[in-house]
Amino acid sequence: MDNFEPKIVAFTCNWCSYAGADKAGMMKLKYSADVKLIRVMCSGRVDTQFVMSAFREGADGVMVLGCHPGDCHYRTGNIKALKRYKLLKKTLVQFGINDKRLKLDWVAAGEAELFQKVVNEMAETVKELGPLHLTGNVEQGGK
Amino acid sequence: MNVEKPKIALFLCECSTNISNFIDLQAVADWAESTEDFCFIEVCNLLCSPDGKKFFTEKLKEHKPDGIIVAACSPKLHEKTFQDVAEEVGINMSRVQMANIRENVSWVTKDKAKATEKAKAMIKAALRRVILAEDLEKVTMEVISDILIIGGGIAGIEAALTASKAGRKVYLVEKDVSLGGSVIKTEEVAPNMECSPCLLAPRLSEVRDDANITVLANSEITDVLGFYGNFLVKVRKKARYVEETCIGCEACFDVCPVTLKSEFHLGLGNRKAIYALFPGSVPAAAVIDKQHCKHFIDNSCDACVSACPFGSINFEEKDEELEINVGALVVATGSKDGDVSNFAELGYEKIKNVYTLPEFERIASSNGPSGGKIQLRNGEQPLSIAVIHCAGSLRDDGIPYCSGTCCVDAIKVGELVRKQIPEAKVFNVHNDLVFVGPKENAFYRKQVKEGTQFIKCTDLKTIQIKEKGNKIMIDGKGFNSIEANMVVLATGLEPASGTNELADMLNIDLGKDGFFKADHDLLNETGSALEGIYIAGCSAGPCNVATSVTRARSAVGDIISKLVPGREIELEIMTSIIDEDKCGGCKLCISVCPYKAIIFDEEKNISIVTEAICRGCGTCVASCPSGAAKAKHFTDEQIYAEIGGLLYG
Repeated sequence: MDNFEPKIVAFTCNWCSYAGADKAGMMKLKYSADVKLIRVMCSGRVDTQFVMSAFREGADGVMVLGCHPGDCHYRTGNIKALKRYKLLKKTLVQFGINDKRLKLDWVAAGEAELFQKVVNEMAETVKELGPLHLTGNVEQGGK
Repeated sequence: MNVEKPKIALFLCECSTNISNFIDLQAVADWAESTEDFCFIEVCNLLCSPDGKKFFTEKLKEHKPDGIIVAACSPKLHEKTFQDVAEEVGINMSRVQMANIRENVSWVTKDKAKATEKAKAMIKAALRRVILAEDLEKVTMEVISDILIIGGGIAGIEAALTASKAGRKVYLVEKDVSLGGSVIKTEEVAPNMECSPCLLAPRLSEVRDDANITVLANSEITDVLGFYGNFLVKVRKKARYVEETCIGCEACFDVCPVTLKSEFHLGLGNRKAIYALFPGSVPAAAVIDKQHCKHFIDNSCDACVSACPFGSINFEEKDEELEINVGALVVATGSKDGDVSNFAELGYEKIKNVYTLPEFERIASSNGPSGGKIQLRNGEQPLSIAVIHCAGSLRDDGIPYCSGTCCVDAIKVGELVRKQIPEAKVFNVHNDLVFVGPKENAFYRKQVKEGTQFIKCTDLKTIQIKEKGNKIMIDGKGFNSIEANMVVLATGLEPASGTNELADMLNIDLGKDGFFKADHDLLNETGSALEGIYIAGCSAGPCNVATSVTRARSAVGDIISKLVPGREIELEIMTSIIDEDKCGGCKLCISVCPYKAIIFDEEKNISIVTEAICRGCGTCVASCPSGAAKAKHFTDEQIYAEIGGLLYG
């Protein structure tokens, strides 16, 4: 288990969290190489199916990172993401996936240290949970 | 079926040593070679430099790839750089995909082997994504360069004049019967003590005489449709019952038998049922208060008709519904004075010589109810005046914030009082004192020197104002009782009434204090969340006259730099679209769209995106249950492909 290198996909919004990750880069803040980013324009763009797809394709953990409430570049996209997240958490459990494997958080463009902290914490959490073994119905379900 | 494999070029940038020191780029290149997915792979250096771009151009011309992956820095930094070069050689911008192996990998990963593996995964994701890229087409639109301004206070007036100087047609909409806003209700503006009517009067005349400016007073916005460059604004111009031939001679005022409290004098003076706010107002025409006019109540009076030398009275006038096409709107609706009537301990409305600061300003104004004479209700001069700072402010049950503008007006009381009553004692009871600049601070020191006594109260919530005989006693924590015969409560500024409704109509946001929210507090203080809608003056948050005017000019400056007659504006390129064959008409997209960019076609039973309004967030796409909505350049297929690529191997 010690050698387990989890695969974590983090959906990051262009304006806040992806910019926060860029700032972490500029500040040379080291974080787990297990976390890989996908840039979307808004966290509101993150379809629940993207999350399910990531799990199906082999992710052990998925993150959705957006702007803080009130700061969304698109006014309220992040709030839509939050609503979907709450529902998705419950759905995951029904599929036999520990809901700790999905994490939504807010990271502003200036919050490089926070970005480093949330992704490292997620990497630790997923490492402790170990590899995700999916049951058949997830592998067949959805797109 | 034999489909020809797309040609993909891979550029691996060393970025000096920023990438090459931490990622084994040769190993990445070898791996890429082994996948046989690329038509061209090259480790290069400083691709964003002039030489680098030249190299990039040459290679694109040589290989004519269907897709280009630049594995280098953040797309936020140089995606556009490489897209522009690609466009120059005839390759659509959508075909350029960056893999951010610097900010996301080399700078943040300790272990070189892990960094190299992560870079490969990101290139794989970029590859799968770029193969699915569809050309993006730039769309331009001709704009309407006319401007509509909501609110005719000093900010709205300044905005109108500035826009007119640039040759723009301006509609200045004011809900009150004439222009002037809150500044015209004061006598002098602190700290320079400049005469307020003198600041406004020449501007009012300028507006009146400006052929580019249409003043719509006594009017309200009823709806706003459309988008940046092409708004349709519906305005209700309420009947005045006095035609524009009226010059405001006031002959009718004397004969009107109905006397009412004047809103302009904040109830401290009277007006008639036919009235104007002040002499020289714009528009000059008087207005009839239909609710109270005897003609309208029981047809028992037409005294004004016979008194009018111009035959301007017209009881038959009707409200007009106007539709105005403009390219941009400026919200300059100002603020409202804080309400202190809920705080019984302050004695307002119970003790007769307790006034709010705006009421005191009216008393001290030459166009005020007492002609500018500072006096008590019984007409006597006050000899002892206490000013209470932060009345109703900085408390959860009142205005929770500091307006930042009232302290300088509160200390102005002493300045105004001493001009008329040199022997009067003035006490300013405060906890905080906020002065925004050196001039304000110098003005404060002048008041100290000239005799205002500044009294520190350590908790303003403990202030008790009580009547004792014909005196008023002020008590509170941290100071000895003060005896006064006039009290002035320095109230803060609240969002103007109707702010919520207007925000809903314009689809723009309010900040936590309830004022209109800036697009960016530091970089775009006068822009709103919606392009083409601007905020100026106190509508954007409490401010002084100078800031109000500056905000107005800033907003208009931005508008005239973008909405140039004859010039087309480029619309958002990465919008969402809805496939009408797949749309089930559930309207879920309409409910989640933050910009009201989606309309419903009742006939076809489908939703349609107005691409000129869409900003491309993709929230509708994520919500669409039938897969009909599509985000250009961020399609479902592209993101699934990216997920798969990232997790590959």
